[in-house]
Amino acid sequence: MTWLIWRQHRTEVCVLGLLVGMFGIALLVLGTGAHDLFPDGPARCAGEAGINEACAASFRRLDEEYGYVENLLAAFYLVPVVIGAFLGAPLLARELEDGTWQLAWTQAVPRMRWLAAKLAALAGVTVALTGMFTAVLTWFRQPFDAWEGRFQYDAFDLEGLVPMAYALFAFGVATAAGAILRRSLPAFGVAFGAFLAARMSVALLARPAYATPLTTMEPVPVGGSKDQAGHRPVSSFAGWMIEHGYADATGRRLSWTEYYELEGAANRAGTNLNQFLHARGIQQFEVYHPADRFWTFQLIEAALFVAAAAVLIGVVVWRVRRRMI
Amino acid sequence: MTATEFALRTDGVGKRYRKGWALRDCTLALPAGGVIALVGPNGAGKTTLLRLVVGLLAPSTGTVEVLGHDVTASTPQTLSRVGFLAQDHPLYKRFTVAEMLRFGRACNLRFDQGLAERRLAKLGIPLDRRAGTLSGGQQAQVALALALAKRPDLLVLDEPVASLDPLARHEFLQVLMGAVAEGGVTVLFSSHVVHELERVCDHLVVLNHGRVTLTGDIDTLLAEHRLLVGPRTATDLDRAGAVVEAVHSDRHTTLLVRDGAIPTAPGWQAQPIALEDLVLAYLRRPSEPRAAVTSGVAA
Amino acid sequence: MFVFRLDTHSGVPPYLQLVQQVRQAVLLGFLQPGDRLPLIREVVEDLAINPNTVAKAYRQMEQENLVTGRPGQGTFVNEQQSAAMSASTYTSLRRGLATWLRRAYAAGLDEQAVNALFTSVHQQTRNEDVA
Repeated sequence: MTWLIWRQHRTEVCVLGLLVGMFGIALLVLGTGAHDLFPDGPARCAGEAGINEACAASFRRLDEEYGYVENLLAAFYLVPVVIGAFLGAPLLARELEDGTWQLAWTQAVPRMRWLAAKLAALAGVTVALTGMFTAVLTWFRQPFDAWEGRFQYDAFDLEGLVPMAYALFAFGVATAAGAILRRSLPAFGVAFGAFLAARMSVALLARPAYATPLTTMEPVPVGGSKDQAGHRPVSSFAGWMIEHGYADATGRRLSWTEYYELEGAANRAGTNLNQFLHARGIQQFEVYHPADRFWTFQLIEAALFVAAAAVLIGVVVWRVRRRMI
Repeated sequence: MTATEFALRTDGVGKRYRKGWALRDCTLALPAGGVIALVGPNGAGKTTLLRLVVGLLAPSTGTVEVLGHDVTASTPQTLSRVGFLAQDHPLYKRFTVAEMLRFGRACNLRFDQGLAERRLAKLGIPLDRRAGTLSGGQQAQVALALALAKRPDLLVLDEPVASLDPLARHEFLQVLMGAVAEGGVTVLFSSHVVHELERVCDHLVVLNHGRVTLTGDIDTLLAEHRLLVGPRTATDLDRAGAVVEAVHSDRHTTLLVRDGAIPTAPGWQAQPIALEDLVLAYLRRPSEPRAAVTSGVAA
Repeated sequence: MFVFRLDTHSGVPPYLQLVQQVRQAVLLGFLQPGDRLPLIREVVEDLAINPNTVAKAYRQMEQENLVTGRPGQGTFVNEQQSAAMSASTYTSLRRGLATWLRRAYAAGLDEQAVNALFTSVHQQTRNEDVA
């Protein structure tokens, strides 16, 4: 079966391998330059943006020279679905649309063994390719992570465990869609759509709720840089801010309308905004997840997508077992 | 006949889809060692029945027993005894012929590589061509070589020559019959063409609207049926035996009877019937559930 | 090597056609005693015909003493004691037929009418045998 699986899927595996290789090498080359901006390594500068002059300078150069690359990283959101769907969609669909399932399942290899071998091999390649790419990308992002933390959407979604879980999920959707629709191209399309829908809803709605966020409430400081319009993050720089705002002295949260009225009054009075707020006992609050929850959240989200993938693969196995063509 | 002398036994087999029953109440006992034709119009359920026989589909009702074992419990050993050639002879079009043979070798317990290569060489089919670039007849030959190389005890073919030109069809049947002559393999194939059956098969199953209407050894069937031609009459028909079909014209009546005697009324003549006409008569019968006409095999 | 033909439209069962072809060939001298008939496998591969049919034909010919099968060697044509037509019978049949034909043409029938007449009487004779 090994030769057969390779022979049937070698085009997809080679194309994907080539793409991963190309982008991987590009990231390695650019990443080396980015890392070189930090003589002691980017990790040393984590959180030091406002404190250490050398780090601040490094971060400034990072933004100037490599900021554009960070913007392009958003394209890599699609890496898991491209890999997973490319390998999963034709697995059953191509056999069904070409009629070769009648050939494949009447040799001496029982259906279920055939399916198990294919699923294991292609899921394995999916995880391996995605994993290799994620490793390179995580390394590339180290300077940027030192600057912004890892909870940002363009860091969390691209690093750690979750991309492999996403890819496995895409593989599961594509294979199941292929089994039900019996055509590769529509299966690919369904996988893409399902992937985007699932990823967006989980990232925006579910992820903030993996744990109860922490809240800090403290009076608006008198000092503070003027160019931050009245707000300085209280939590550590690498945490994930869910919500922030202002409250009055009793702790009641101010609506943004009320805040703007205060801001307007401060401007009319001609005083510094922070001093104005401080004088009235206004507090600022922040709802956030601390940075050390990164790996917990990674595990939870990865488990979610792997479980979904397992359910989808289970559907495929069940359908083939019951000979529902 | 003992169980092992049956190539195929089904008992009340049916297959239901959302839109209705594709196959119903199929009870067959087909002997090993010969060539069996499954005949019926398109949509009669032939492909469904064949897929049930090779285990590609699961029956909704009934059981299917192939070469003595239940088809739903398939192991590599039982799978290797049955070869299947699906309609339109599917192959992996991007594989070369040599790679198709390698596929056969990789997926089967027994695979006679030398036999397959000799066959293909004799037919002039090069091993390094991609299967998709071969002609229809050549693809059919490659698929047949693949199925025969695993040395099955039962070879099932779904409309194997339907899409082939006359020369390719003849060449295909030459190879198939040659394999039967070498011994050991029972062939079951389906066809919607009734024309040249007698030349190739010794056993027949007629399928229409998802039901078996006739099954039996061809020589026995032809011996049991005859055409009775006589003056136009509407009465006394039951005396003639089991009437399969009655055709009336202005002046005379033609009856197709099974195991019947000539009516005593004067002017009646008996004639033998050709296989093609026999099958057509059974295909023209309206599709009500009734016991299939079976002959030639004591079940 | 003797070559069989198959006429799928003749209404005659295939195995019987094979037997008749051998009978006729022996009758007309195309097959001599001691000639070997093709192997069953060869006939099968040539005509794309069921092996059981050929086997049945060869068995029937053996029963009629037309041929003898020797295991491992093949099937051979026998010495025909009485089956071969004597030259005189053959000649008298030909002469009788020629006379009949002359009478038919003299009566005004053309070639087609002669063929039709012959076929219908032939058919009738055969049917009487069956019934």
